[in-house]
Amino acid sequence: MKKLISRILLGATILASSACTKIDNYDGPNASFEGNLISSEGGNLLTSQGSSQIRLEQISWSATPSPQEIPSKFDGTFKDSKLFKGTYKVIPKGGAFWPLYDTLTVDINKGTKHDFTVTPYILIKNFTAVLNGKTLTLKYTMEAPIGAGLPTIIETQPYVNNTKLVGAGASIRDFSDIYKKAINKEWADMTDADKSVTIDIPDMLPGRKFFVRVGVRLNDSFKSSNFSDIIEIDVPAN
Amino acid sequence: MKSIHKLIIAISISVGALVTSCQKLDIPPTNIFTPDIIFGSEAGVKSFLATIYRGLPIEDFKYRPDQGFKTGGNDWENFFNSASVTGEEVGPFGGMDIGGGFGYWPYGDIRNVNILIEELPKHADKLGQANVDALLGEAHFLRAYYYFGLAKRYGGVPIVTTVQDPGAPLSELQVHRDKEEATWDFIGAELDLGYQMMNETNELGRANKYAAAALKSRAMLYAGTIAKYGSANFVDGQARAEGFAGIPADKANGYFTKAYDAAKLLEGHYSLYEKNSDKVQNYVDLFLKSESPENIFVKQYSIISGTAHSWDATMSPRYMTANALTRSYPTLDLVQRWGNLPVTNLDGTPKRFNDRAELMQGLEPRLLATVYFPGATLRGLTFDMQRGIYPSFNGTAAAEVAKPANSRSYILSGDTKTLYQGRMIIGFTGPWTGGDELTRTGFYVRKYIDAAKPISTVDLNRSEQPWIDLRYAEILLNRAEAAMELGNAGDALTVINMIRNRAGATPYTSIDIDKIRNERGMELAFENQYYWDLKRWRIADVVLNNARFKGLMPYYVFNENKYIFLSEPELFQRNYNFDKKFYYEPIPGGELGKNPNLYPNNPNY
Repeated sequence: MKKLISRILLGATILASSACTKIDNYDGPNASFEGNLISSEGGNLLTSQGSSQIRLEQISWSATPSPQEIPSKFDGTFKDSKLFKGTYKVIPKGGAFWPLYDTLTVDINKGTKHDFTVTPYILIKNFTAVLNGKTLTLKYTMEAPIGAGLPTIIETQPYVNNTKLVGAGASIRDFSDIYKKAINKEWADMTDADKSVTIDIPDMLPGRKFFVRVGVRLNDSFKSSNFSDIIEIDVPAN
Repeated sequence: MKSIHKLIIAISISVGALVTSCQKLDIPPTNIFTPDIIFGSEAGVKSFLATIYRGLPIEDFKYRPDQGFKTGGNDWENFFNSASVTGEEVGPFGGMDIGGGFGYWPYGDIRNVNILIEELPKHADKLGQANVDALLGEAHFLRAYYYFGLAKRYGGVPIVTTVQDPGAPLSELQVHRDKEEATWDFIGAELDLGYQMMNETNELGRANKYAAAALKSRAMLYAGTIAKYGSANFVDGQARAEGFAGIPADKANGYFTKAYDAAKLLEGHYSLYEKNSDKVQNYVDLFLKSESPENIFVKQYSIISGTAHSWDATMSPRYMTANALTRSYPTLDLVQRWGNLPVTNLDGTPKRFNDRAELMQGLEPRLLATVYFPGATLRGLTFDMQRGIYPSFNGTAAAEVAKPANSRSYILSGDTKTLYQGRMIIGFTGPWTGGDELTRTGFYVRKYIDAAKPISTVDLNRSEQPWIDLRYAEILLNRAEAAMELGNAGDALTVINMIRNRAGATPYTSIDIDKIRNERGMELAFENQYYWDLKRWRIADVVLNNARFKGLMPYYVFNENKYIFLSEPELFQRNYNFDKKFYYEPIPGGELGKNPNLYPNNPNY
């Protein structure tokens, strides 16, 4: 019995000593890429959940790599800290900005930073949200940095949510989608009255805090929306 | 003495071995089928054809748009259909779950067709030249059918017409994508060959020359609308710029002309089914009677071969079947293609009905044959749809539906056993949200349902009625649409009125493209056409833009002893969004990995 145990131990020792002689010679994903989507009209491009991404293609890995995407955050910044070191083609996409066609080639290493400048389709200006009793009145105007060739303006709508993360896909339907206003016009055909919008949202719940913004949706390849900044509204208790 | 014996044995063994061992083993293998065996007889060719037909991308009862053409395990889930993401129905899909497709890539099947086309001419001596020509025509039809399945999903794909040698250099095997226009033109040319070479008739379940013309009318109409509407509503990208996804707009009329001419070829050879003078029963029968002069190309099923489908068991509630699981239900939006139902009075109050079945009075026979309404009967049982009971009802329908659920005065129930003053609160057939067996819209599918089957036999994988893949009504609709796109409103009106007369509808006196599209939506409801129609008209992103659909909820008003119907959001409360990139599916990732010449992938993937 003792002999058997010692033989098993011997075998285990031999197996253990022969294992783990090689180590992985590839670096882990320890590179990072971060930056801002800067609006040509000042500040960062205001985005929402899933609206803009940075597309990366690792050309140092393959001539036809599978693309990967870094989603932009609500404040127009982006960051991915688990990338493999290498040469990438990068381009922002998803809208709502005039599309860029020239991809940029960057060597991504630890702490690589790059800012992209994009021209938004529509700017939302003079956005105010005023509470009158339980009715919230939103007023804003639309401006286009470049009018000619702008995709058709489909609709405009408020987004209301109870967290700061408010936008397309992150809003309370009864306060948001049902107050959508259809436009379906070319920018050149829109009158000043079309471009200045007032939306009333009745029956806001008393004693609650809401975050409100508005968006304008365009018929580009992504049906993307330009967003306003976010206003915090406290509805007083009765 | 002994040693002589040994010697004799040794010599005879060595001689024997020398004489017999040097035979060369140069004989045909006896355990595999060689081309001579398969293509040397009609039975052999037929068995080879069976494999090709079985793989054909026919979007039938069992087709599941996010998983593919199902056989065997879980092929009974017939409610996972494209109708239930497009608003014809609502059902098990949580939303627009089928836009990315399922990675369809049938080059193995296409290789089989290519083998057939290469081998058949070599065997003309045994099969006879006439037979070989007809079979070659059939092969061209089959190849076109496969490429049609590819083109409508991906746009331009590699056109492979030869049997590739696996030993060839990689550069030859990695075939480039062809342009979308070239792919559709190839399909058209293949179907022309099919039409020229095939016979007028063929066995049931196989294609004849008119099937080729019929498929051509469908395919060319797709190409024409993609050229016309795809150049107005598209997703930007490299694949589009290089012509792999998209057709120039000026090619549209050429395709419409081809679609129209192909549809005309069937005139006089097929006709609409009009054997029963009862218009409702006639329309029901046309999907069930195999002798229908409307059927051009059908797919058959049988319990014995294990191919039976489950339409009857997955479209009707368990109340009327042996073991049903229903999950997709027609919407009020679909029913309103036929016009608004008379459920509301002029002052906005719900109209009162003595009996649920009264609602069906005066409706178009085709509608009643397409959808089971509250009050209809199946296998001796009544569709007793009832959402709940109002002890009393005041005010307008719109005001009632707009109220939050908790301030409505209705009484609902979680099961059929709960009674209100002795009356059932919900019907045996729903609507109910607690399980997967009862309608959530107030309707059930009637098209293709075989009412003659006894309840005890209506079970999963026990339905054998054939799927009509090409029927003459569709060809007439293709012709009308192509005619209208070409500015021939007169012919379009004539053809649409043929369909409306058979349907029991009032004929039109004038026609426009919206009427033609709506007619198509009514006539071909649940036939897996509407999803592709929405795509090729490039309106899916508009129709399915945060779309929510409606049901028609029947209620019993207790103090009046009457029924009312309210138009309400369907009870799944689903939301459908079609992303523009879905107009083309992504080339499957695995194929891109094997063949870099398939790049660029379709826009936005």
